[in-house]
Amino acid sequence: MSFGAMAAWQAWVLLLAAAAVAVWLFRLKVRPPRVAVPTLLLWRRVLDEPRELTWWERVRRAVSLAATVLIAVALALAVTRPAPRRLNAASRGRVLIVLDASWSMLARITSGETRWARAVQAAHRLAAESGGADVALATTADGLVEGPSADTALIETAIDRVRPSGGEHAPWPVVAGVDAVHFITDGAIGRELDPAVTVHSVFEPAPNVAITAFDARPATAGAAAEAFVAVANYAAAPQRLHLTVTRDSTVVAERSIELGAGEAGYQALPIDAGRGGRILARVAAPANALAADDEAVAWLPRGEPVTVTVVSDDPGALALLLQRDAGVTATYVTPAEYRAGRAEVVIFDRWLPRAAPSRPALCLAPPTADWLGTVGTEERSPVWTPGARHSVLAGVDPLTLDIRKVRAYDGEGLLPVARSDKGAPLVLVADHADRRLVVLAFAVADSNLAFAPAFPVLVGNAIDWLARPSYGPARAPGRITLPASVSRITGPDGSAVPVARAGDRAFATLARAGLYLIEAGGSRGVVAANVGSPEVSDLARTTLATDAADTEARVRRGGRPWWTYAVLAAFVLAALEWWTWQRRVTV
Amino acid sequence: MALRFEDDFLKKLEYLHVVSRRAFAGQSRADRRARKRGRGLEFADHRGYAAGDDFRHIDWKAYQRLNRLLLRLFDEEQDLPIYLFIDSSRSMAEPAKFDQARRIAAALCYIGLAHLDRVTLLPFDIRVGDETQPGRGKGRIFRVFELLEQLEARGPTDLREAFKAFGGRSRQQGLAVVISDFLDPNGFEPGLKMLASMGHDVFVVHITSAGDRHPGPLGDVRFVDAETGDLRDVDVTPSLAAAYGSAWQAHQLELERFCGRYNLGYVRADAEQAFEQIILKTFRQGRFLT
Repeated sequence: MSFGAMAAWQAWVLLLAAAAVAVWLFRLKVRPPRVAVPTLLLWRRVLDEPRELTWWERVRRAVSLAATVLIAVALALAVTRPAPRRLNAASRGRVLIVLDASWSMLARITSGETRWARAVQAAHRLAAESGGADVALATTADGLVEGPSADTALIETAIDRVRPSGGEHAPWPVVAGVDAVHFITDGAIGRELDPAVTVHSVFEPAPNVAITAFDARPATAGAAAEAFVAVANYAAAPQRLHLTVTRDSTVVAERSIELGAGEAGYQALPIDAGRGGRILARVAAPANALAADDEAVAWLPRGEPVTVTVVSDDPGALALLLQRDAGVTATYVTPAEYRAGRAEVVIFDRWLPRAAPSRPALCLAPPTADWLGTVGTEERSPVWTPGARHSVLAGVDPLTLDIRKVRAYDGEGLLPVARSDKGAPLVLVADHADRRLVVLAFAVADSNLAFAPAFPVLVGNAIDWLARPSYGPARAPGRITLPASVSRITGPDGSAVPVARAGDRAFATLARAGLYLIEAGGSRGVVAANVGSPEVSDLARTTLATDAADTEARVRRGGRPWWTYAVLAAFVLAALEWWTWQRRVTV
Repeated sequence: MALRFEDDFLKKLEYLHVVSRRAFAGQSRADRRARKRGRGLEFADHRGYAAGDDFRHIDWKAYQRLNRLLLRLFDEEQDLPIYLFIDSSRSMAEPAKFDQARRIAAALCYIGLAHLDRVTLLPFDIRVGDETQPGRGKGRIFRVFELLEQLEARGPTDLREAFKAFGGRSRQQGLAVVISDFLDPNGFEPGLKMLASMGHDVFVVHITSAGDRHPGPLGDVRFVDAETGDLRDVDVTPSLAAAYGSAWQAHQLELERFCGRYNLGYVRADAEQAFEQIILKTFRQGRFLT
């Protein structure tokens, strides 16, 4: 036997102390209640005459003493949290229990419980059977959650605390010095596992329907807004699915779709989405084991143009370009008239304000400024050479550009994304939490940019990158990598999501499905996290080998921990003792 | 405790008589036949006329037949001295017992007063307390009620000492009713023997309570003797309680046999028993009342 709450010697001392205290209390003379009798005459007569005691009367006190000691010891034993000591030598070392936190673990199986509930039972059993070994608990989503610790109560509390949160492709948790690793999984996500890992399967096939993809496109000049939905029926029989798309609480599209077993359907639904916003798709079907993938969200961008303020004495070609861009509404001010406003992007043409702007900015041939950088040496006829890939330069054909001169520009936090063949920076970007900037080191007038096909592409890219950055399509909940400029992430429930930074990257965990608002350098973007995917939602499939899947039988219901039996025994003994003694049944 | 009785019950009591198995000389005329001849209504005997006898009692019909002057004699009808001893020791402090004892005393007192008997109320413990003679006539019963209501249970029991003190004064022989639980540490025998030896017709009313008879398995308790204050720690198991019950039974039988042996009347009155039932049924069955 081992003790989960303390060392063995401490447990034995506690048990002995409990027994000693029980004996002391039993022998302690308690003042009995006073009962007035008319006379002691008859009592004396009875008590003074020799009376033959029955066998039970002779042993009754000893039995009571034994019962009292047993009750005390049982209660003390419960405190020590005893567990059977496993004879397996390996189990005496360090044990790592890894719970698969994939969303598919929330699937409800035929018994009515979820795969997760079954996994939790298995984890409890493994923790109880650890036989005094140090146990560590980890999930595939969160990594190490608790331990290593010999305190079974600590581990069991942690087991009850953790919840599935995705992490389908998170790295495998590693704990040093582990002798045995137990992985409790349904095998929905394939993993390369060390052969030493003991896999405990909680897989049981279940029918399911899911939204496996969802996105929304805003209305354009010639077409209404559309929602793209992929739904799948992972049941063994055909099902009629009911698909509903809503914006806020308004149903904007509704479909009834008949899908065969294992069949997927794709729908492009024209929606009257108004000014855009949160779009929710929901699917329902009779045989549906997983609720988490029945809903998906998408963000429909507003169709309104980007507001731009151009600060220039002579906007020239820039004004001509922006007037023709339906996606931009530009206002023009001279440097003298410039005041910080609410425009989404500011374009500074050969001029910079004294203080850094609060909004994202495109700077064309900027002069030296404290908050930006300094102008360096001039280079004549620079040749644009391909450099780092950046979305600002996407689609820009440098061969059509003819730059007569460029002045090297350098500043803290400015990252050159295009250089001349001699190394002079041509295009620089700053992507920080407090500012997002694009800097062109050459003036429009110093190049043929105004007439080159690359001009509208470059300016358009810059404005889009600055005003409405994209953080990619809808993704599964889990860890996300973002630019370091991300200053704040707000979750679906309005709470702030912690952001960790390392180098030029920021990291966050999107713990649940929904829309996340990402703020960076004065711009705002939205990323959608949806659970459904063919990998997660196909609950009839497992990546576990057949023999591993068969181990499901081994993930049986664990017995109750011993301490519950100890408490039960103490209770029963106390009740019996009370009943027989107080009710004078046995004496 | 209020001792007032219902009117209906008082009517019933008036039809009852306290029975004395012997005739005693009374002091006043009443409706109970006395041992001596006198001026009663019931013819008793003849005797020869002697000078000085009252002419009105000469039986002239007998003179015609026998030619002798004979005098008609009548039974004297006098009152009966009734001494009501009520145990007011601490052993009677249990309210049910003491109330029952006082009710019985009050009822017997009323019966005696209703028949013009001379009732004397004598509370006792180790000694006889202030004795009370309420007088004659049932109208005096309210004084008896007041006296009994004011009575308190206190002091230890000693029947012998109490009756010795009672006998210390010259008294007319009569009916002595002892209402007690007879839990005397010195035994009830000496006291009752002494009372009987004084020439009284002794009648014992044994007051008992359920607590006295069957205390039940009380568990670990500290008994306090109500009279002496002695303490004794006892684990009252069911078997011990049963043994006590047997001891009490033996005590009760002992008292009953003692009364039989010495020709004393005995009636047991349980505190839980209905009072009317004790008076109207139990006492009549015990031939104490008719």
